Amino acid sequence: MRVVHYLNQFFGGVGGEEKAGTSLEVHSGALGPGRVLEQALGEGFQVVQTLVCGDNYAVENMDELSVRVLEMVRSAKADLFVAGPCFNAGRYGVAAGALCAAVQAELGIPAVTAMVPENPGVDLYRQELYIVDSGSNVAAMRDVVARMAHISLKLVRQEPIGRPSEEGYISRGILRDELVERTAAARMADMVLAKANEEPFESELPVTVFPPVPAPPPVRDMSRAIIAVVTDGGLVPLGNPDHIPLSAATIWGSYSVAGIDNLEGGNYEVAHRGYDTRHVLEDPNRLVPLDVLRELERAGVIGKLYEEFLSTSGLGNPLGNSRRLGREMAQKLKGVVDAVILTST
Amino acid sequence: MRLTLALHPVTGLEFADATRLDGTRLQVDREELRQLLLKDRRLQSVDLETVCPGESSRVGDIFDILEPRAKEPGSGADFPGILGPYVLAGQGTTHVLRGSAVTVLDEGLPRAGGKLLEMGGEAGAATPYGALHHLVIIPHGVPGLPRHAFQNALRLASVTASVYLARAAVRRVPATIEVFDLEGPQVGGREGLLRAAFIGQIHGHQHGGEADEHILYGSNTQGMIPVPLHPNEWLDGAVVLSYWNNHNEETYFYQNHPVILELYRRHQAGELTFVGSIATVAASLEEERDRNCMVAAHLAKWTLGADVVLLTKYGGGAPHADMGLTARLCETMGMRTVVAVTGSAGDSQAESALLFNYPEVDAIVHVGGNGIKWAVGRPERVFAGTPEAAEALATLREVSASRVCGVANAQGASKVSITVY
Repeated sequence: MRVVHYLNQFFGGVGGEEKAGTSLEVHSGALGPGRVLEQALGEGFQVVQTLVCGDNYAVENMDELSVRVLEMVRSAKADLFVAGPCFNAGRYGVAAGALCAAVQAELGIPAVTAMVPENPGVDLYRQELYIVDSGSNVAAMRDVVARMAHISLKLVRQEPIGRPSEEGYISRGILRDELVERTAAARMADMVLAKANEEPFESELPVTVFPPVPAPPPVRDMSRAIIAVVTDGGLVPLGNPDHIPLSAATIWGSYSVAGIDNLEGGNYEVAHRGYDTRHVLEDPNRLVPLDVLRELERAGVIGKLYEEFLSTSGLGNPLGNSRRLGREMAQKLKGVVDAVILTST
Repeated sequence: MRLTLALHPVTGLEFADATRLDGTRLQVDREELRQLLLKDRRLQSVDLETVCPGESSRVGDIFDILEPRAKEPGSGADFPGILGPYVLAGQGTTHVLRGSAVTVLDEGLPRAGGKLLEMGGEAGAATPYGALHHLVIIPHGVPGLPRHAFQNALRLASVTASVYLARAAVRRVPATIEVFDLEGPQVGGREGLLRAAFIGQIHGHQHGGEADEHILYGSNTQGMIPVPLHPNEWLDGAVVLSYWNNHNEETYFYQNHPVILELYRRHQAGELTFVGSIATVAASLEEERDRNCMVAAHLAKWTLGADVVLLTKYGGGAPHADMGLTARLCETMGMRTVVAVTGSAGDSQAESALLFNYPEVDAIVHVGGNGIKWAVGRPERVFAGTPEAAEALATLREVSASRVCGVANAQGASKVSITVY
């Protein structure tokens, strides 16, 4: 089995921070941690090539570096790509993650890296990759590389990978239902008693904590502001012309309200099956408050109402998808409107 | 309050010339029961079938599953507010045909993909319903019957048949009895034990409700604010499933409520003090949500004096969020909580799974969703509301845990959990 190994300038022996601008160098055979890796992988595995690149060069030229690394790995006929371990080196972690993800996606061979959970490379690539938890102690290199080899062997042999705590990788956040012996009721009672007694307990789902969204600067003069309405309540013209799915919507629509003062019930429908839609069907202004916004427009309280409202269905939507929909909507409106009213259900 | 369940085990179910309990074999006079159910003029015909453990059978779409139970004469009312007068449920003696079920099908469901009963294979082994003897009732409504009236007829048929069957056991000596006796929040002499309460949703108003819908003591729960219930009331017919029931709940697991039974067991074992329960509904409007969550948490604190609270939800996303908010308020008031959630992550990513973002609501049990699927073949017997539905069921190649009644049960019976990889 042929292995290609990626290292930064420090672990590749080029030098410290002063050499972080070094471009990609190719060495045949194993170098530094690669020798430990070769040993840990055992018989039949050979590090055929070591790619060394400065951290600054890597993150500043990521696209170009990816293309070159992919070429190298392809021409080396590699069966496995390993990057790092990167410990808490942030730029190294980001580059290692990006290269592993590219190799895995483009070449279809396993790719493994290692870093501390706080390394920014983890946030970026944990869902796609097996990233071994390296801890921050560089002196533990041998142990960390052994764990990387363990995961690598399983991936190469296409053996099932166990839980993060058993295998030593950082949780990828992928959920799998499993049959267990005890009822949910019994598990609930155990958990709440442990919690109340301040004993350790393990929640079956992790608590998701989202970073706060910074508030944009306030609108200075509403009487000159252009206002748009965006809703995830699924209001669409009759016939749902864009075929927005009723749940887990992957698209959004934008619908003209030019020359309309009031949304009439008979002209709209709701592409959303997660709430009691009768009130909205009766009077769509309850979801997209066009009637009052037109009044405010006429009274000069707001400058102008944007001539379209944006709509999608907010039901059962994976967050990754929601983020994309939000970005796309923001792109359409950014620089065009001064403020957005978001209505939900 | 003291409830005695007189348990009569059922190990066989068959049609016969009279309805009786022959040892542990339940014999049913099919024609007598059919005529009883057809007293409801909204039904044109009723098919009755039996489905037993180990059979290669598939049944759907399920309206509801109940355990046959009948009150001992003079000790209360059967399903008060639906069948019987307003007598507080949860007292006296109730006869139970343990090991059997009344399973009512809904021919009017407009879609494939509803709940089903799977008796054989891995799916049958994974659901507690796979071990029961089911009397399957397939009511057919008269032409032109409004949907809500048909649903009301299904509900009446379900409770009528449940009581009819269990009356075969009344005046017979039960094999065993179970006594459920709780003093309630005023209980004394249990110093040092944590006081536990249960807050359970019994409906979600995001899909409205029907004027003639029976959920809590016959009420449709419109405008309901949370109410304290004695745990025995759940077990004894005060609560039945709502019509919006394409989720993992059935009346059977109100009658055998896993959380209530678990808390009873631990109360009796001296592990905690079970102080009571609260029934609530998930709201459709923001102000209703705020009000219901606030009232439920306050009842747990000030009426029940709870230290710990176990919460379950009814239905999908909005109820999930309501449960989370209620738990958060409980935590804020100094009570420790655990919540049971269903699968909500369409992309199987942990970040999409929770519909709330409260750091203090950090004890979460997962009852499963679509993550488990079984390959299935054509079963030997299929029962459904219509021939088209029967064909659709017969040709299924795969069923997900969330469709098979009892597997990913949200009332606490689920033996599905989740691991984050």
